[in-house]
Amino acid sequence: MGEEAIIADRLTYFYNNLLAVDHICFHVAKGEILGFLGPNGAGKTTTVKMLTGQLKPKDGKAILLGLDVAENIERVQSKIGVCFEETNLYQRMSAIENLNLFARLFNVKSFNAYSLLARVGLSGREKDRVENYSKGMRQRLMVARSLVSKPQILFLDEPTAGLDPTSSEAIRNIILEERKRGATIFLTTHDMMEADKLSDRVAFMNQGKILALDKPLNLKQKYGKRALKAKVASKKGALESREIDLDTPQTAEELQNLFQNEKVVTIHSEEATLEDIFIKITGRGLTE
Amino acid sequence: MNFGVIRALVVKDFALFFRNRFYALITVLGIITYLVIYFVMPSSVDEELEIGLYAPVIPPFFELIQQEEGLKFHEYNSDQDLRQAIADRIHEAGVILPEDIMEQLASGQIPLVTLYFSTDAPDEIKDIVETMVKELAYLQTGQFLAINISAEILGPDLLGDQIPIRDRMRLMLVIMLIMFEMMGLASLISEEVEQDTIRALLVTPMSVRDLFTAKLLMGVSLAFIQGALFMAIVGGLNSQPSIILIALLLGSIMFTGSGFLIASLAKDMLTSMGWGITAILIYSIPAFGIMFPGTVTDWGRFIPTYYLTNIIHQASNINTGWSEIWVDLLILMVFNMLIVWGGIMALGRKFR
Repeated sequence: MGEEAIIADRLTYFYNNLLAVDHICFHVAKGEILGFLGPNGAGKTTTVKMLTGQLKPKDGKAILLGLDVAENIERVQSKIGVCFEETNLYQRMSAIENLNLFARLFNVKSFNAYSLLARVGLSGREKDRVENYSKGMRQRLMVARSLVSKPQILFLDEPTAGLDPTSSEAIRNIILEERKRGATIFLTTHDMMEADKLSDRVAFMNQGKILALDKPLNLKQKYGKRALKAKVASKKGALESREIDLDTPQTAEELQNLFQNEKVVTIHSEEATLEDIFIKITGRGLTE
Repeated sequence: MNFGVIRALVVKDFALFFRNRFYALITVLGIITYLVIYFVMPSSVDEELEIGLYAPVIPPFFELIQQEEGLKFHEYNSDQDLRQAIADRIHEAGVILPEDIMEQLASGQIPLVTLYFSTDAPDEIKDIVETMVKELAYLQTGQFLAINISAEILGPDLLGDQIPIRDRMRLMLVIMLIMFEMMGLASLISEEVEQDTIRALLVTPMSVRDLFTAKLLMGVSLAFIQGALFMAIVGGLNSQPSIILIALLLGSIMFTGSGFLIASLAKDMLTSMGWGITAILIYSIPAFGIMFPGTVTDWGRFIPTYYLTNIIHQASNINTGWSEIWVDLLILMVFNMLIVWGGIMALGRKFR
């Protein structure tokens, strides 16, 4: 991947005396998807606000595509797309009008709103007012709006939160398509499965600090454990659970015992989830 | 400044404004209603009088004439005070009785009674006051006596060109019309903040200056077009149109700035309406003063709209020219700058 799209250099922000982001440093390569994870109040939104020019850092720098954001806000903002967690569309305007407005704000020439709406599955409803859209449709329109300028960096904040599986899958596919196009994606989410599935790397943020940043597989290997989980039938016919740790010297012997001495009904391997790792690192869950 | 961006934002704001049924309705119905009100008002003058009086010795029959004629007298301590009150249009007429009027009448002399009239006092008022003074002499002596009457008009003489009540009201109507747009704009901005669409705008390459320019253009044009249209229809631009149009433009800027201030205070559409109504009540006080002379005195000068209403009243009803209103125009501009600057600062803070 090589060249850096995003560099956070000792990025700091505080509200009055509350330190929201504490000298964080990280970088995201061009074309990479970074999953940015953390509980509410961890400092994720403040970080995104500094990266997108909505807040000026109290200390440190945010550099996007080689430009210091604080000094080149308009130039940086012309190269990024932002999809917010809460729907903030013009409700009394149609989808077409919403997209055309932003195309003009981004000074996009020959913009085709219809094809973008078709891409997010909103064909046939282009001229309906947004106030008549379902939550899933609005969210898809939010994603479409963030793509109007074909941004080089895409900031997505909980893009699939509260959506049905079909809408979620549609949005995940768009994220992957955008990555294929060459866009860098900064994905803020609570959904560990989604982060695991989509992200090249994930960052865990808590209390204003980045506690871990690596590929999901590396984090699992570093912090998690692999196990086999089996259901066995007891002599009385009831089902009982067995768990065998895969990373100990006794693994082979335990496995042999399991199959020789017990009646195995089901068996599957289980690796640590990002959520397990997050709890291990921070001592708290994402929703706390 | 990016004119393409500003144009897109103005078009968006107009679309959102007129798609809000309430504001679309009050904008369209407002102008129609005010036109109807104007045209159903009598075009002639029909007023009850309160007359200023300076009399070192007040004759005993004054109370009697007040009861009989339904007139009211407001006493002043000096000739100068009375002249000032008439010049300020607190009363349309004033009477000065000589200190020894009783003795003069008793001894058969001819006392000199001085009458003052404001510049826009109608003929009927002048006739009524002269008749009243003569009747005073009759009441005192039981016969018609000779009285010398000296009448003086304070300000330009509008003899034969009096101001009907509907033309006084025209001012109130046009001010109300453009003030409602202040409330509409404030609600539109509050909605933008409440629905967080402002944040979506602020992450585009659009500058905050473009955003404010667009809002200012939208607010000013909406208010100014309505105000100018109304004045043109009701004949308010027949005299000194350039002064009136400039005053309306400045008024539209003032109300747009006020809309920014209200939006910075409001949390949602309801609170912006609450603040808007409060502002409308305060801002309309000077226009009431024009409709009902004497109700607003010197303290009215602290209300920014005092200068706006005064300029429009002077130019449209009294045909006053640039030389006499330039000071008011200057003060109005200063108020405008303060209000717009304050509005942009306050709203800018809210956006951040």
